[in-house]
Amino acid sequence: MVFLIHIYMSNFDHQTLEHLKKLCRIECTEEEDADILNSLNRVLDFAAQLNEVNTENTKTCRYVLRGMLKNQMREDEVKDVLSREKFLANAPDQIGGMIRVPSVLKPSS
Amino acid sequence: MKHLHHFSATELRDAFIKGEVSAVKIVETFLSRIDKHNKKLGAFLSVLNTRALLKAEALDKKRAHNQPCGKMAAIPVAIKDNMHIMGETTTCGSKFLSNYKAPFNATSVHLLEQEDAILIGKTNMDEFAMGSSNENSAYFPAQNPWNLKRVPGGSSGGSAAAVAARLSLMATGSDTGGSIRQPAAFCGIVGYKPTYGRVSRYGLVAFGSSLDQIGPLTPTVADAALSMEVLGHHCPRDATSLDLPPDSYRLSKSLEEGATIGVPWSFLENLKPEIRENFNQSIEVMKSLGAKIVDVDLDVIKYSIAVYYILATAEASTNLARFDGIRYGVRSKEAKTLEEIYENSRKNGFGREVKKRIMLGTYVLSAGYQDAYYKKAQKVRTQIMDAFDQAFGSCDIVMMPVTTSGAFEHSSIMDPVEMYLQDIFTVSANLAGLPAISVPSGYNKIGMPLGVQMIGAQMCDVSVMQTAYAYEQASQHCRIPRDYEA
Repeated sequence: MVFLIHIYMSNFDHQTLEHLKKLCRIECTEEEDADILNSLNRVLDFAAQLNEVNTENTKTCRYVLRGMLKNQMREDEVKDVLSREKFLANAPDQIGGMIRVPSVLKPSS
Repeated sequence: MKHLHHFSATELRDAFIKGEVSAVKIVETFLSRIDKHNKKLGAFLSVLNTRALLKAEALDKKRAHNQPCGKMAAIPVAIKDNMHIMGETTTCGSKFLSNYKAPFNATSVHLLEQEDAILIGKTNMDEFAMGSSNENSAYFPAQNPWNLKRVPGGSSGGSAAAVAARLSLMATGSDTGGSIRQPAAFCGIVGYKPTYGRVSRYGLVAFGSSLDQIGPLTPTVADAALSMEVLGHHCPRDATSLDLPPDSYRLSKSLEEGATIGVPWSFLENLKPEIRENFNQSIEVMKSLGAKIVDVDLDVIKYSIAVYYILATAEASTNLARFDGIRYGVRSKEAKTLEEIYENSRKNGFGREVKKRIMLGTYVLSAGYQDAYYKKAQKVRTQIMDAFDQAFGSCDIVMMPVTTSGAFEHSSIMDPVEMYLQDIFTVSANLAGLPAISVPSGYNKIGMPLGVQMIGAQMCDVSVMQTAYAYEQASQHCRIPRDYEA
């Protein structure tokens, strides 16, 4: 199947990738880096086909269900949702009923 | 009596209710089938032996005491491993959640259990539902029961393989861009994606929140309809859940007088010969049922893949931010600082496709690119919805193929864009929130199943199911793969 693919070379380079990894908080292996860079360039070039579509007078889609545009409101009530014990059962590290993480504040000298 | 796995889900339920077979016998049969076939098929990530047997014993007692049994009584149901069953593992096909025990039930799971379905196992899937072949499962790929060298499709590939091989008579799936319908077509069974919001997503691990819908994979359309009567309820725990009474499905073998089917011929211009031939046969079946066939203009959906991969990845990048190694999931052991916990847990926990999509999604949402990619895609999405609105002005149902070919071989598609284009016929229903079904429509030259898709307007779930039922009854293409008949 052949669909229109307009090639605009995207300017997605190593530097952008490094920046993006920081934004996403993801580390990658070197091999992954190369593959991801290549794939993202392929996909972004492909996505450039949207430039063909005239959207000057088109509204941005904000909600999927047309004709059902009303906010679902509920009372702000305290409910028994999930017990601390049940929640903490999945925590990787905990202490005294709380989740433990490495210290983020440095002791003042 | 015929083999229990040759029953449809509805027939098996009826046999149980009439006392022709016990629930324990049913569970033993299907557990032994899983035991025999799952090593090769890789359809299940976990099997709930004890849980299923206990439920079966309870059901047999219930029936013995003449207590009323639920709508799904004794039907073995497999749950895709991105939906929570309280106390069981939900891995989402990812190493990140290999140790995650669900602290609550998904609404869909709760509804199925309430109607006496027997939960039999959790099915394999592409990691976080990202994939069209099941090759992105972090554990092992599921295989197609029609040919083990070929993929079962994705991301609900485990669910499709399980039902096709009759290791279960029903399975749940989630469909963000075709993840129920494409594997159903590849495996020769029925797969249904309801109207957006029809089934509660509470307890489903979110991927693309404006696109995700839970639905059934089943041997027959009647089974899919039965499960929708159970699953399609309003749920206050999902703010996008439709606040409407559940639909009731009364299926008839004939189409309504004057039923009109729209076909986007110009969009379908470049179909491969095997798909074109098969699709034309399906059109003939609809004509023989008295349907009027009209041409509809849906050319704009040729852009749906580009729109989808921008919006779905953008939504995924925010949804998957919660996997940080702090509150649950596998935390990196070598991390010394908070930052290292985030970065290394995500490095070790996520597979490559997931990393790619999070990065792509973050990119299209980032400063300087949001207008060019994300907002542009949301505008084209509006045009896709408008085009469907217009089409449904002149027809009741839009018909299209489900896939561009029969199931492909493992590792045969390496290019990301080529893989994404596998979803060209399915993603538009997600973008527009429409109900859509995949029904078996025959087999290609090498014997792999194909499917035809029927898409309805929003809230027209019953009409989609009815059309599919009439088609199925008139065409009868659903078969059990030879190796799984005995």
